[in-house]
Amino acid sequence: VKYFVTVNGQEHEVELEERLGRIEVRLDGAPLSVRYEEVDRLGQVALFLGERAYGVSIEGQGPTSLVTVAGHVYQVTLEDERERAAHAAEREGQRHGGEVKSIMPGVVVELLVSEGQEVEAGTPLLILEAMKMQNEISAPGPGRVARLHVARGEAVGSGAKLITLAPTSPPQG
Amino acid sequence: MFQRILIANRGEIALRILRTAREMGIECVAVFSDFDKRALHARLADLAVGLGGSLPSQSYLDMEKIIAAAQKTGAQAIHPGYGFLAENAVFAERVRAAGLVWIGPPPAAIRAMGDKITSRRVMQAAGVPVVPGLVDPVDDAAAASAAAQSIGYPIALKAAAGGGGKGIRIVREQKDMASAFRTASGEAKAAFGDGRVYLERYLDQPRHVEIQVLFDAHGHGVHLGERECSVQRRHQKLIEEAPSPVVDAATRAAMGATALAAGRAVGYEGAGTVEFLWSRGMFYFLEMNTRLQVEHPVTEMITGIDLVREQLCVAAGEPLSFAQDAVRFQGHAIEVRVNAEDPTNGFLPSTGTIHNLRLPGGPWVRIDSCMYRGMEVGVNYDPMLAKVIVWAHDRPGAIARMRRTLQELNVGGVRTGVPAALAVLENQRFLSGDFDTHLLETMDLSARGDEARAAAVAAAIQRWYGARRRSLESPKEGLRAAWARRGLEAGTRPGSWAAAARAPGEGP
Repeated sequence: VKYFVTVNGQEHEVELEERLGRIEVRLDGAPLSVRYEEVDRLGQVALFLGERAYGVSIEGQGPTSLVTVAGHVYQVTLEDERERAAHAAEREGQRHGGEVKSIMPGVVVELLVSEGQEVEAGTPLLILEAMKMQNEISAPGPGRVARLHVARGEAVGSGAKLITLAPTSPPQG
Repeated sequence: MFQRILIANRGEIALRILRTAREMGIECVAVFSDFDKRALHARLADLAVGLGGSLPSQSYLDMEKIIAAAQKTGAQAIHPGYGFLAENAVFAERVRAAGLVWIGPPPAAIRAMGDKITSRRVMQAAGVPVVPGLVDPVDDAAAASAAAQSIGYPIALKAAAGGGGKGIRIVREQKDMASAFRTASGEAKAAFGDGRVYLERYLDQPRHVEIQVLFDAHGHGVHLGERECSVQRRHQKLIEEAPSPVVDAATRAAMGATALAAGRAVGYEGAGTVEFLWSRGMFYFLEMNTRLQVEHPVTEMITGIDLVREQLCVAAGEPLSFAQDAVRFQGHAIEVRVNAEDPTNGFLPSTGTIHNLRLPGGPWVRIDSCMYRGMEVGVNYDPMLAKVIVWAHDRPGAIARMRRTLQELNVGGVRTGVPAALAVLENQRFLSGDFDTHLLETMDLSARGDEARAAAVAAAIQRWYGARRRSLESPKEGLRAAWARRGLEAGTRPGSWAAAARAPGEGP
């Protein structure tokens, strides 16, 4: 199997093959001596690359996992060849979305704009309170407020749609 | 001394107080909300009383429930910890009125220091240096703009009833005043029920240096030196250390004397902290925190004095057992706060379940933590999960020890600020000691670390094993996948090159 693995903005190719019950690894085309021992089913792993030892922890099984090595956390994106093709097509499909999403769970304390209002990049849209801190969420770019998805006092989850922005001057036709 | 006390708090500070009290032979009553029914502080206490509710207002902020719990269990005194009701003069009064001992300063001292405006007035009268600014708070943006003109930009907006970094905004230009005022005032109103804000000059290259003081009820007071708390994000501290790299013995004595004068001016008793803003060799009174501080362990590590024990002794009416000249400072201590937050995303809160935990250890390492496997981290409470504290003979030794310790720590399930702390501990300005409260904002905290290759290999193998395990656990799926693959290989669906490359057993 070949995985395309992106870490710290750099892509690596990891090829895995099982031969005689042992796992063989090629990293970016070069063979690598690897031992991988699961410590528990919770994500702790003893990893050895050549003679180097790593006490690694891995969270998540999906396309994105968080890998902790020596206190630093690496956000790792994994794709196999099929997913790579599918994702490329998907990205092409939705080049821009004018949706402002919540990046954390919280409560909408105040809405500062109304539907139809035109905003500039940086215009405060609403105030979201999380863990007793109030955070001003501002417009990522210029646009017109097409839709408010939340009301004052509403609790929102991480990734929830807050506001849809439409282009200021819609393209002709 | 008390036989039984109630701890009106949760998290690591409830455990911190419980540990000293139990060592002193004092029984502890824990209180807990519904959300915390599995929490360590409730499990390790002698008695535990459920308060119900999950919001702070229904539990740890509910004065009546807490006082009733103390009376029901026969506790003689209440320790408030920090946060929640710790700096609430009304609660302190109610505790006393219920015939219980309040383990904290007199309500009048809390009141005088709790309102930053009153405290500035009192401090000016006592001859303590304060930062230039307004004495009276403002309640609308127009008044704030007008006042800012006379004080001069940059301006710090601060909640009149504030604390803990809430309700603070820095305004550099006139045009940003309205927006900053709105959020600062809104935050202050939500957190403290008081939207008034006051303005002061924002000083350049500011460092946050604070002095720990301790007063008994018999007129004696000592200071236990300073803590350097300039490594902050969103005006909340991330790393603290003692001593400060910029404070020498003479300055320490001067700041200590000023801090003691500040405490005496309000008739202080118990443990307290006088915060100073340090700018280019000058120090100004900021505020006094009338409680135990989060970062109190670094003082404990360099003085050998258990601050919770001293709080309990003072509250029990005992005189301080040592004088100022008996206080000795030895070595260097550093604390890192482990908060549930994402340093690569502006330190926004991170929530989840801690499913995977590896705590560090080793010589001169202290872990004050409330974490356990299976602990849920929600948004209702403060995001601090643990404090890691180390001691060494000198600052470079303590930094090296903290780096080693944080490399051993692993909190899985939520993101923490630890990678940012590690970045600070490797930062040249931090290492040199020449830094200010802006240090963190000037640093690039996006993805970093030198072990990206190991991370890539580990993630790939984990996924591969995971896929294989799933196929073994559901043999029918595995068979179906194998059948489908054979079909593909036989060319029944030409062109499906991607599907053929799938891992063994990895379903569609």
